[in-house]
Amino acid sequence: MSLRSAAAHRNLLYLLSLRELRTRYKRSLLGWAWSLLNPLVQLGIFSVIFLYVFEQNPPVGDPSGLQSFALYFLVGFIPFNFFSISIGASIGAVQGGASLIKKVAFPHEHLVLSVIAAQFVTLMIELAVVVVALLIAGNMVLPWLPVVFLVLVLLAIFSTGVALLLAAGNAFFNDVSYLWTIASQLLFYSTPIIWNPETVGNPVLTQVASWGPTGAFVMALQELLYDLQMPSALRLLQLAVYAGVSFAFGAWAFNKLSPRFAEEL
Amino acid sequence: MSTVQHPVEVDHVTKTFRRHHDRATSLKQFVAGGRRRTYDEFVALDDVSFNVRRGEVFGVVGHNGSGKSTMLKIMAGILHPNKGEVRVHERMSALLELGAGFHPELSGRENVFLNAALLGMTRKEITARYDEIVDFSGLDDDFLDTPVKTYSSGMYVRLAFSIAINVEPELLIIDEILAVGDIDFQRKCTERFLEFRNAGRTTVLVTHDMNSVRTMCDRAVWLDHGKLRGTGEPGEIVDGYTESMTGSTDRVAKLGSYREGSGELQFTAARMLVDGEPRRSLRTGDDLVLELELTATSPIDDPAVSVTVMTASGLMLSEPCTRDADIVLGRVDDRRALTVRLPDLALLPGEYQVHCTVSDARRHHIFDRVHSAVTFDVMAGTPLEQFGTVSLRPQWTVE
Repeated sequence: MSLRSAAAHRNLLYLLSLRELRTRYKRSLLGWAWSLLNPLVQLGIFSVIFLYVFEQNPPVGDPSGLQSFALYFLVGFIPFNFFSISIGASIGAVQGGASLIKKVAFPHEHLVLSVIAAQFVTLMIELAVVVVALLIAGNMVLPWLPVVFLVLVLLAIFSTGVALLLAAGNAFFNDVSYLWTIASQLLFYSTPIIWNPETVGNPVLTQVASWGPTGAFVMALQELLYDLQMPSALRLLQLAVYAGVSFAFGAWAFNKLSPRFAEEL
Repeated sequence: MSTVQHPVEVDHVTKTFRRHHDRATSLKQFVAGGRRRTYDEFVALDDVSFNVRRGEVFGVVGHNGSGKSTMLKIMAGILHPNKGEVRVHERMSALLELGAGFHPELSGRENVFLNAALLGMTRKEITARYDEIVDFSGLDDDFLDTPVKTYSSGMYVRLAFSIAINVEPELLIIDEILAVGDIDFQRKCTERFLEFRNAGRTTVLVTHDMNSVRTMCDRAVWLDHGKLRGTGEPGEIVDGYTESMTGSTDRVAKLGSYREGSGELQFTAARMLVDGEPRRSLRTGDDLVLELELTATSPIDDPAVSVTVMTASGLMLSEPCTRDADIVLGRVDDRRALTVRLPDLALLPGEYQVHCTVSDARRHHIFDRVHSAVTFDVMAGTPLEQFGTVSLRPQWTVE
């Protein structure tokens, strides 16, 4: 289905996103608190490993002077988590939508777009919590938030491209979802979330972090929220190119493959 | 540009499916298997063309695997043909499965909005029609705020159907779903369906119920193994289809599977003859002859033989008996053949069955009763009537 038909069905997109948000934590004791619990548990685990097992010093923000492993971790982990969960859930949404796809004609990309939209709302809530924590720690992040938002939108576009590609691929070969869990692990450790390129000082790792698809986004956000400095124009250009290429390729592949979903799923 | 634009134009549509012997469902197999993947091409639709005209109810008939569901899914835009195309020129709503988009955890209200959006309605349209949808479903307001997983299957289907039928499409594509809910709800559905038809809207209907094709459709198409066998007047199409279904199968002399009785006398053959030939179908107005054969295991004096003519759904229509006609069979100690002729058949098109019973003279003790000993189809003949089961031979006069 074309983008035009997607626009005509924006009511459907809105309702599907709402369904994502409403059903995720229905019938759960903690409700929305779950979306904060996962980052907090991860934070606990990695804090112990980082601070007590390997006895590392937290990176120092430049020029902010902030030195907190917890905040450094959350600033990187939350956007990465958005990316990772969005793609996993998108793959599941197309697979789980099989009965719908076989019975109703509708723009299939809405299954993916609604996941991204719902995850983006979750991301905003988590970000708000982190921003409050940063403010309490003395980092005046408020002036930087517009740029942060811009970077997150680019991240969402980038994630959409990857999600469209993998969700379409998974309709034909269902081990794409297993491969994704492995790839997601690789991306997590290659992204500077629990380590800092400057303190590690390995030039190869620094290049991997800086050019890696998620590393580039995370480093830009660390500069904005942790260091309180503007990322270079080159960095922003890099993010825009990543987002554009990913989206164009993902959308092309999805449009090409989605007419066959009803037969293949 | 004088040609009329039809709401649905099916233009040389061919659809093939691949039937994989050893389908690579994972990347690993795909990579490892290289180009050695083997599959058959299965032709579901073979160069099919027809048009659906504006305002008509158009039936699609065919046996299982004839390609009619594939045809419907292509019309609905779910599947895409390999060759040719289907052009749909009107706002279409396809009801292939009720409540396909229902989410069990969401409330009835939320599901109404989601499902209607899936069927292509804007939020404004849904809001405007919401009350009507709820009203039509007959569900209580309390229930609309509880998750649909707590609904009974009847409630579920009623809500789904109310949404589907209130979407107000110009073209409705239906797959065997008019028979939902209780009698009251079914009547509401039929009424709404007739309203829809009377408003000049177009319907494409797939069904196995030949009576509804006869009574509801204006035209029909017959698909057989993916090929178009005919398009035209529904009576002719259904007759052709029924004849092809029954002509080949030899169920004539086979006795029904369920029988009861003490067994001193047993039916050993029962078949229907039309013009002296064993047949499975005939037309209104034909002479029906039932040929029965009895075999005795011990001698019986003066048994009574009756045949019960019933509709497929089990409504008894008539039970001619040898006793009522003062026919005396005498002592039966071996084999005895008898026939009963039912001239100028009054039954209207449909499926019928005959039970055969042999009992003592007073019809108290049953020796043998064979259920569905004979089943047959009646096709349109003379007189021709659209509704009902029997023709009462009406003779009209107009002053």
